[in-house]
Amino acid sequence: MSVSLQRLTRSAVLTALALALSVAEGLAPLTILVPLPGLRLGLANLVTVYALCRLSGREALLILVARCLLGSLLGGNLMALAFSLTGGLLALAVMALLLRLPGLSLFGVSIAGAAAHNTGQILAAIVVLGTPAPMVYLPPLLFCSLVTGAVTGGVSTLLVHRVPFPGKV
Amino acid sequence: MKRFFLLLCCLTVLTGCAAPAANPEPAQAQFFSMDTLMSIRVYNEGGEDALQAARQEIEKLDKLLSRTDPDSQISLLNSHAGDGTLVLLDAQVTDLLTFAKSVSQLLPGCFDITIAPVMDAWGFTTEERHVPTAEALTAAMALVDSGKLTVDEAASAARLEQAGMEVDLGAVAKGFAAGRADAVLREEGVTSALLDLGGNVTAIGSKLDGSAWQVAVKDPQNTSEALCVLSLKDQTASTSGGYERYFEENGQIYHHIIDPETGYPADSGLLSVTVISSDHMLADALSTTLFVAGPEEALDFWRSREDFELVLCTQDNRVIVTEGLEAGYRPAGEDRGYTYEIARR
Amino acid sequence: MRSPAADRRRPTLWDGVVALVVVALAALLVFLLRPAGGSNLTAVITLDGVQVAQYQLDQLDQPITLTVDEGTYPLTIRAEQGRICIEHSDCPSQDCVRTGWISKPGQQIICLPNRLIISLFGSEPEPFDAVTG
Repeated sequence: MSVSLQRLTRSAVLTALALALSVAEGLAPLTILVPLPGLRLGLANLVTVYALCRLSGREALLILVARCLLGSLLGGNLMALAFSLTGGLLALAVMALLLRLPGLSLFGVSIAGAAAHNTGQILAAIVVLGTPAPMVYLPPLLFCSLVTGAVTGGVSTLLVHRVPFPGKV
Repeated sequence: MKRFFLLLCCLTVLTGCAAPAANPEPAQAQFFSMDTLMSIRVYNEGGEDALQAARQEIEKLDKLLSRTDPDSQISLLNSHAGDGTLVLLDAQVTDLLTFAKSVSQLLPGCFDITIAPVMDAWGFTTEERHVPTAEALTAAMALVDSGKLTVDEAASAARLEQAGMEVDLGAVAKGFAAGRADAVLREEGVTSALLDLGGNVTAIGSKLDGSAWQVAVKDPQNTSEALCVLSLKDQTASTSGGYERYFEENGQIYHHIIDPETGYPADSGLLSVTVISSDHMLADALSTTLFVAGPEEALDFWRSREDFELVLCTQDNRVIVTEGLEAGYRPAGEDRGYTYEIARR
Repeated sequence: MRSPAADRRRPTLWDGVVALVVVALAALLVFLLRPAGGSNLTAVITLDGVQVAQYQLDQLDQPITLTVDEGTYPLTIRAEQGRICIEHSDCPSQDCVRTGWISKPGQQIICLPNRLIISLFGSEPEPFDAVTG
């Protein structure tokens, strides 16, 4: 396979995977356990972490944007798109930065990513709704991101080690 | 994903109500009319014009219905009592008289709009309150009989058959005004407003976020506290209680809700009655009527109808809430010794 | 992208630092978002729609007595730290005096014969939208 075709294919597969993960997550929302708006495990973030580690920042960005756009087509609205894009982009930026630091593992990176995602969502909600009221949800969401970030961190460690070279079949 | 965002939106808007920043200041006015303090709050944007229209409507009705205004239709009717004249009246006034008579028939002996001479004898009209002498009371009671109020709906006219009789619409006028103000506001496109006509609260539509209005019922024994809190949408909550206006004489307390059977303040075992109905006028009229009727008769009457709900506060500190309110109500006076029960059909 | 994080299998001390930073940020936000201090309880007195006085009740160091005699019946209002009442009124009904002290935002004392209203406002949100009774 040519290089560009290979990239295209693996990006597409990862996008589909991210989409499937976020849909799957929606089927069993965490908010049933903890009634906190915006709370979720962030499984789609796994794909972002993986793409950042094993592919490139450019591809990770591409996958993220495609996932958000397609996700909103699948059953969201413009507001949903704004929320997920802002959260996702902020998480991507923070994780891309932290992955360059020497002392961290994927646990710390994922926790920071989850926290950044929540922060982005709340910021988007503040802008969209035109009120600072959603801010009250940020502190509890940040506390929760420690747990969700650690879980996705653990899973992404496994993922990155078990599937080290994407597309080299 | 979608579900989460919907949830986030709902919850943020909900909590937005608690945060002052998210609750835009409504257009509001507070004014005296119908011998009480009224307030109107319109939450829709640009509600100022609608608010003024509603206020004017209420003030117009006050001019029609006030017994103390010598130019009102009621004064005209009263001034012709016993002289045989069929007094031509505004159609709204005739409707209101017919309605008031029908309430008297629904619960005989508990409601009468010709109670005015007795109210005068007690000084509740002039605010020089006192216990009337036996003679004064007997004389006044002889003038109470809404059967002697003839209403000719076709001709839009009415007549008081006995000289000295007087009609006072105090127990229904606020409810009628709420209905008219509601109509005016809706014509102006208002979907979210609150009227407080002297303690009769009318919820128009819902809050801007779609949730129900939270309306507290006053604790009759501690008026700075709430007895319970109700959720209302497009309904009026009207409360009658002896605590609203009263006086003390020789260590005895006399309140302003007079039993048309005895001529004395009603003593039916109730401290207050709150009627919740989408029929604003019915809510107003029934709160007074059922306060006089007492808890058992009030609940029996409730069981016979489908168009209102009740909160009764009894003298033995029980709060009886009818089942239609169960979902949206919460008790607030347990720490003050009240026990709460749900009445079922 | 070469990343040392991708090669590790176990959390490091620095991960703990990241977690601590997140906790610190959350705690800081909780602190910043706490309800504004002071109840800001304000009493506004209006006579027939015209404001005659306004007091910051939570900041009153000593009681204030105000006599309003512009109305039909002269009356005396007493304001203390956090509460206010009509101490005396010449009005015949005395409903306003019987109302007693009020101390919460949203509460009112009304003297109908005088068309006088004392309303309390504050930064605490009022617990309900309206009161019947």
